[in-house]
Amino acid sequence: MTMLFLHLVVDGIVTGCAIGLVAATFAYFYSTSGTFHVAHAGVYTFCGYVAWYCTTWGIPFVPSLLIAMGVGALLGVIIQGLLYARLAQIKASPLVMLIGSIGVLTVLQNLAAIFFTPNIIQFEFPWRIANVELGPIFLSVPQLLILILCPLLYVALLLFSSYTALGRQIRAVASNPELAQITHLRPRRMFIYAIAISSAMVAVPGVLVGIDQAMQPYTSLIILLTAVVAVIAGGIGSLTGAFFMSIALSTIQSVSVLLVSGRWSLAVVFVIFIVFILVRPEGLVKRKFSREL
Amino acid sequence: MCKSEIKNILAISLIGLAICGAAHAEELTIGALLPLTGPAAPIGIEQQNGVQFAIDQYNESGGLNGTPVKVAFDDSQGKPDQGVLAFNRMTDLENVPAMLTAFSSISLAIAPLGERREVLIINPAAQSDSLANASKYLINTIPLVGDEAHVLADYASENIGKSAAIIYENGSAGVSGRDSFKQFFEAAGGAVIADEPVEFGQTNYRATLLKIAAAKPDFVYIAITQSQVAMADQVGQIPGFPLGIGNTFSSPFFGHPSTEGWYQTGIQSGFPKDDLVAKFNERFGTEEMGFFAREYYNATNMIIRIAQHLLDNGSELTGKAMRDAVFEIGTFNSDIANLSITTNTASRPVEILQYQGDERVVIATGNVAN
Repeated sequence: MTMLFLHLVVDGIVTGCAIGLVAATFAYFYSTSGTFHVAHAGVYTFCGYVAWYCTTWGIPFVPSLLIAMGVGALLGVIIQGLLYARLAQIKASPLVMLIGSIGVLTVLQNLAAIFFTPNIIQFEFPWRIANVELGPIFLSVPQLLILILCPLLYVALLLFSSYTALGRQIRAVASNPELAQITHLRPRRMFIYAIAISSAMVAVPGVLVGIDQAMQPYTSLIILLTAVVAVIAGGIGSLTGAFFMSIALSTIQSVSVLLVSGRWSLAVVFVIFIVFILVRPEGLVKRKFSREL
Repeated sequence: MCKSEIKNILAISLIGLAICGAAHAEELTIGALLPLTGPAAPIGIEQQNGVQFAIDQYNESGGLNGTPVKVAFDDSQGKPDQGVLAFNRMTDLENVPAMLTAFSSISLAIAPLGERREVLIINPAAQSDSLANASKYLINTIPLVGDEAHVLADYASENIGKSAAIIYENGSAGVSGRDSFKQFFEAAGGAVIADEPVEFGQTNYRATLLKIAAAKPDFVYIAITQSQVAMADQVGQIPGFPLGIGNTFSSPFFGHPSTEGWYQTGIQSGFPKDDLVAKFNERFGTEEMGFFAREYYNATNMIIRIAQHLLDNGSELTGKAMRDAVFEIGTFNSDIANLSITTNTASRPVEILQYQGDERVVIATGNVAN
């Protein structure tokens, strides 16, 4: 039983790291722009397919991943430029923005199915099913990569946000768009940077989870759902809250199968979320500004 | 306008209607309600290819008494509510007398409509046991999940072990598979010590596999229809994972190091002649004519044969007449399968196969009585 518990915890942490990066990047753009960018899940999926497509042309893993990140950034810029910016121009309500984003998500999922394949696909890397033994724990190589790369990228995002000029400018826009406008920070441009960064980063879990498990155009919604729950429970605006709450929720979901049937594991997560948010409505990490980074 | 002119117009109209009616009587439009988008689309598209190929082949050889057979595809999206809407579209707009269906939940949703609207529904792939008596207008051309589970449970209790765990898809066919296997395995003296559901299209099975492995059964009965390769990979990560057994849908488990020695039942499903298979692959850019393509090809030919039978006997192509003709004809033999239909579910042999290296070896055959 102890070993089973340990394995389930590790599995939950690995899944949580992947979802954590989705949540942190979602929170990053939401904090900056105020747009509830559910199409982020579509970018996540589409980038996975791009990397897979690259590998079918014999392109190695690292260049494929970088290409997928580039395509992700481009997709983000296109979505911001063609949809969110225009909706903002005509002063569309947040609800309209959300509906627009859902539309983009559906389009991206279907484009992945049309351009690539609607089939469940697997990467052909020989190391995909290789195992790494860490004491009593077995991890696949892609799982190990998730465990290393996703937290690293989360830390990189934090450092970028705190210690670079561009990161600080984006934070300034997030904290006070009107003041930022007066000081010639040009919020719209910052929104483009923010979505490009978050979309490029979300390609990493998109590709790695695809390599580890398999990919299907329509499966990213459940990941986004957990990520959004983590963003809210973690404290809206907190990248740290979003990332660590993702790990906590995924671990709870994984371990819950010890007590209940697997069919209830997602329900367990939501029950805990509801109780948590009733007890601590501001989330895990309380922020001074509602959409602060 | 004088009376004689009106009479002439009426007469010409009546003749016109009669001609149209006569032509219409020999026209056959087959409905095909398949999941063409959504997570089940890969299966739906393979099924669509099978139907289209059968129609194309038949029309190339002259059609139904010289009239090309038509097919109307509609998308169920793998959802029962969309399936019902699509059923109504096809019956109202296309007036189809016969329809092919896919997936248990959708087939169960449209089954009563088939009876109400008198539309023959042929199911060549869905396997929920509830389909056996869902409607007298619903004909299943493959054994249901319970039939396969019966053969497998008897074999497993005698040859593999007495304690089993079950992993099943949380849908109509998966739940049916779980219930049937449990019933027959326990009747054969075995015990089911754990069961765990997974969701359709899920790709991360690790928590489920770990829990099942910890229960230490002699073997695991797996009833899923998608993502078998992902599951096989993850099984390979769990040392000492028990032997797996499954049904027809377990075929993708074959060929992985982690599934060596596993068992599955297989509904005997042959191939059309080599030149036809080659033509199919060329037409659809596929490497093989898969199980679903073959079964839907066969079922489409079955509907055409029923229609030809009715026309030869001077009957109209109505759903009711087609349904009655199924039992009148009774036996539908082809390169794909020899179907004997005396109840709503065809009788076909079920094989037990074992994965041995790069071969799936037939180690037993059981016939499913209906």
